[in-house]
Amino acid sequence: MSETAVRVEVRDNTQGKQLEKWTRAANDFLGVPLQRLEEVKVYKVATQGRMKDAPALLGGIFVDPVLQSAAFSHANDAEAGEKPGFIAEISYRPGVTDNPARAAQEALALTGVTATVASGSLYFFYGDIDAAGARKIAGELLANELIQKIDVWSHDDFLKNDRFDKVSLPRAVFSHPVEVEAVSLELDDGALALLSKERFLALTVEELHHIRDYYRREDIRAAREKLGLPPAAPTDVEIEIFAQTWSEHCKHKIFAAKIDYTGPEGEKREIDSLYKSYIKKATTDIKAARKLDWLISVFSDNAGIVRFDGKVDLCIKVETHNSPSALDPYGGALTGILGVNRDILGCGLGARPIANTDVFCFAPPDMPRGEEAELMPQGPKPPRRILDGVHKGVEDGGNKSGIPTVNGAFFFDRDYAGKPLVFVGTAGVMPPVLPDGRPSSEKKLSAGDRIVVIGGAVGADGIHGATFSSLELDENAPATAVQIGDPLTQKRVLDFLMEARDAGLYSAITDNGAGGLSSSIGEMAQMSGGASLDLALCPVKYPGLSPWELMVSESQERMSLAVPPEKLAGFMELAARRGVSACDLGAFDASGLLTVLYKGKIVASLDLAFLHDSLPQMQLRAVWNGPKPRARWSENTALREGRMPAPEKAGPALLALLSSPNITSKEKWVRAYDHEVQAATHLKPFTGKAADGPSDAGVVWLYPHGGEKENGVAIGCGLAPRLSPVDPLRMAQCAVDEAVRNVVASGGDPDTLCLLDNFCWPDPVESAKNPDGAYKLGQLVRACQGLYDICTAYGAPLVSGKDSMKNDFRGKDARGQDIVVSVLPTLMVTAMAKVHMGSVAGSAFRAPDDLIYILGANMAQGLAGSEFAAIYKAEDDLGPAISPERNIRLYRLLHKAMRAGLLRSVHDVSEGGMLVAVAEGMIGGRLGAALETAAGFDVLFNEAPGRFIVSVAPEKSADFETAMAGTEFSLLGRVTAAEKLALNEREEIPLQDIVTAWKKGF
Amino acid sequence: MSMKKPLFIVMTGDGINCERETAFAIELGGGAARVMHVNDLLETPEVLKEADGFAIPGGFSFGDELGSGQIMALKIRHKLGEAFFALVERQGPVIGICNGFQVLVKLGLLPYPARRDERLLALAPNAGGGFIDRWAALEVQKDSVCQWTQGLEKSTIELPIRHGEGRIAFLQGGEDEIYRQLKAEGLIPLTYAEDVNGSHGRIAALCDPTGMVLGMMPHPEAFVFGETYRQTGEAAPVKGDGLLLFENIINIMNGRETQNARRAG
Repeated sequence: MSETAVRVEVRDNTQGKQLEKWTRAANDFLGVPLQRLEEVKVYKVATQGRMKDAPALLGGIFVDPVLQSAAFSHANDAEAGEKPGFIAEISYRPGVTDNPARAAQEALALTGVTATVASGSLYFFYGDIDAAGARKIAGELLANELIQKIDVWSHDDFLKNDRFDKVSLPRAVFSHPVEVEAVSLELDDGALALLSKERFLALTVEELHHIRDYYRREDIRAAREKLGLPPAAPTDVEIEIFAQTWSEHCKHKIFAAKIDYTGPEGEKREIDSLYKSYIKKATTDIKAARKLDWLISVFSDNAGIVRFDGKVDLCIKVETHNSPSALDPYGGALTGILGVNRDILGCGLGARPIANTDVFCFAPPDMPRGEEAELMPQGPKPPRRILDGVHKGVEDGGNKSGIPTVNGAFFFDRDYAGKPLVFVGTAGVMPPVLPDGRPSSEKKLSAGDRIVVIGGAVGADGIHGATFSSLELDENAPATAVQIGDPLTQKRVLDFLMEARDAGLYSAITDNGAGGLSSSIGEMAQMSGGASLDLALCPVKYPGLSPWELMVSESQERMSLAVPPEKLAGFMELAARRGVSACDLGAFDASGLLTVLYKGKIVASLDLAFLHDSLPQMQLRAVWNGPKPRARWSENTALREGRMPAPEKAGPALLALLSSPNITSKEKWVRAYDHEVQAATHLKPFTGKAADGPSDAGVVWLYPHGGEKENGVAIGCGLAPRLSPVDPLRMAQCAVDEAVRNVVASGGDPDTLCLLDNFCWPDPVESAKNPDGAYKLGQLVRACQGLYDICTAYGAPLVSGKDSMKNDFRGKDARGQDIVVSVLPTLMVTAMAKVHMGSVAGSAFRAPDDLIYILGANMAQGLAGSEFAAIYKAEDDLGPAISPERNIRLYRLLHKAMRAGLLRSVHDVSEGGMLVAVAEGMIGGRLGAALETAAGFDVLFNEAPGRFIVSVAPEKSADFETAMAGTEFSLLGRVTAAEKLALNEREEIPLQDIVTAWKKGF
Repeated sequence: MSMKKPLFIVMTGDGINCERETAFAIELGGGAARVMHVNDLLETPEVLKEADGFAIPGGFSFGDELGSGQIMALKIRHKLGEAFFALVERQGPVIGICNGFQVLVKLGLLPYPARRDERLLALAPNAGGGFIDRWAALEVQKDSVCQWTQGLEKSTIELPIRHGEGRIAFLQGGEDEIYRQLKAEGLIPLTYAEDVNGSHGRIAALCDPTGMVLGMMPHPEAFVFGETYRQTGEAAPVKGDGLLLFENIINIMNGRETQNARRAG
């Protein structure tokens, strides 16, 4: 029987809003005069032999009779009416994850039809446009050519083509032979460097020397000869395993390096690993000093595990997915969020995700403006496209997985135009003890346990993700580094794993993330002391993948497990019943080796100790000799609002701040995330009378998750990257302080704070092409010092973290000139703390006559790093050094006062400063405020840490002031029914103006 | 005298997300809930004979591919079929929430289970274009035959909506007539107090003529406790409005049980 294929075109009776948005974008951003856009979905269905009565069968599956109509032939093409100028068809490239098609195959199978499906879309362009314009719209708005194919026709050519008669589906065909080759390292240094670059190994020449020395050992050569392996050279599988395992992404070599540091006074210091000296040490010191008993597992697993509740433990992890999001914003963000979910699934013996977080650092959404276009780096997607795509990816990733997105932030700065930062986090719950009595935080596998991989099949997608993210972006990024997530497959995996865990069907689990099997099995093998697996047993998306590709592919939705042999049948049976693919690849052993076979033949055999523990420590030089002006490319001062407003009025500056991208309401974006699924979200992203006032953090109630009724958990974030050029130490302190205040303002108990550090840095390794690497490393050292100081002062342990170290773009701008765009050195801090239910006040003012206080200093302080300084050409003075001890004392007293019910509202002072915080309380309560305060811009708009705006009922003010005795606070004024902000009886700003400015959005 | 609690099967799997909270809400409402994976249900359809009611929770079944609820409806129709429809025919209470509502519509169970092959309406993409999570005030239509909302004291309840495809759209050309008929027959138990998604007649929920099958876009299971209300602090009530619907239907079932017992006695 031969294969035949049918094409179905499905048209919605009412075209969606997205098409209008694209039409506007085509005009506004691309300058193409598109009048209207129509979309028609395309499905190509291939079956063995001819399908009987295809229109009726396929119509019942692909078409909603109320909303849509379908075409199976050219009959509808010649309909009268307005003719489109051009038509584009967009389809997936061979081998790319096609979720609609996969679902359609399942749907067809339900009706007894075995078929292969491909999906795509036709777009009809109306208006006076030419082929180049159509191509531009298709390429820059509708499709991503890394993963999709675009065909453009004029209307006449479209009518002539025989798309319904000659239907072909994309097929992945690999032209290279499936074989294993030896990769000789007996080369000179230049050739070794070239080898590393061409294979995307991201290994340095020194590292390749170290590997070469291994293959020069006589014992190794003799052993390899016996196994039938090339004795003196690694196989391609082996060199790839080294590259993945030793990638910066997996090994964190920079944080582990020995650093020769010179500080601001010329003082010298040798640092033996930033991680050990500052990050881990902070936690160890705090744990000892405070005798903490609730840190169950930190730094050793996929996520940190803490105990705030008698019935459930919490775990949390935050990841970045920067490089993939730069190449394919939607796919990159989607795989990012699904990936960090898997970290939680693979934490301990598996936890259930209960909340997602997301923080984006992007170039401003209206960039480029005017002449700026010619300065833009060529290669990265335009800022608006990145924003739209990443947002949609996080939306689909969270919503379709049924995990509420409870907290996040958008931060805009021009220095993110070369590489966006996408932070995605997940918190999970797990019972302290499983039904069979095992602590759920402990993985314990034994030699003999089977190696089982579950989830999706393996394809070429995601090959070299780990090594690629360890390189800076240039124009030559490999297309295979792009992946698309499949939320449905992952949801099935999640549901299955929770059942399998409670049934005690496996002994250890980890996610398949960066580096694929090479990393997951490589790491798990250390528990038993060895592993042996056959790659030919992996389910594949299509034939032709070489063993090394199978080993390192980061194809999504996969988890690796150790299954005791006696549990294997039960495990496999449950997986089958839940529609989850599972395959037994081999066994863990105690051989001391990682052995990889392909169809029974050994293709890699590596000494585990050498693989994991032999890598020589990097030696690096770091200098921080004071602030440095920001790189010239971002100094386009013409773009600032420019002139400082007249000093006697605060209103114009307040309204400008409220509507700036960093402060304005993100409600339209945030409401696209489901923040309430699982029915446990207590404090939602927007609160107050009209449910549009901003919250400081998300609070999730633990009772619906099996916890105690009186317990919740607050999750918030903080970052202050604009302080990095001034002083990275202060930057780190402010990032921690903001994250902490966000959760404290939301009811978090300061004695249960736990923090996560995510560093995203420009390349800090000095080299010819990166001459200021030592300074960037100096910035990193200083940030780590600030982080250590404030964490220990707050008594807040770091429970998990991650770093991403090559966040630079090196390439050309639109004029063809060489540019380097490096991100601002960015530390994003996530804070989590226990909440006593009933004490969460919210940020919105509640009632007229309530007293408004500012907690912390209300005085002129430096405007460095502030939004005010970014908008106006203001002095970048750093304020006085902060006092963490004084801050934490204030937070503890505030928390006590909140639990005593003394507060009507609590809001942290952050972007925009004190007056913006008051304005946000007004927006939430739709109430006015009358304030008496010193009124210089450096009082009203400085962003000094350690402060809150709170409101207190008049009858509780005495108790409140007593409760806060000994801390710095001052009465600012009161909440009023009059709908305006009255400032010092001199100036009045209508509430309506404040609401309108803040709700401007983007 | 202890009464047997009415048992609801709460379906899960294939991308359904809200099974846990839906089961929790049923239990708090006085019923018993058994969460069952759809694949297990297909293997043992006889459990439906023992069950009193059925819930299809919200989520993204099959990732919303080919239209929300579409493939799950195909799966139920082709693989479960009569076992499920029989429960509807004997007037066991059935609730489809959000994605579950979409499944009920695609199965043809709403508004007329007796005319399953006739599709009168659909849940189309929101007029605003995308997914939205917000709270909505819902007007309880006192003239509705819906058993789930029967006798609610409140005339307005508040629940969250969380969907991208929740706009009721009628068969083209027949809009006014279908709407008038649904209204006249009391098949519209809840409407949005303000337009949230462009839904025809601001319809938020539909029931069948027996009032036992209910499909609704808002999430009653997400508001059974004051702790998950849209506002924190003093503004939050103790009991959530969503719980009222579950209590209501379970009271009605218990009443039926009592009546049957009396008749039998």
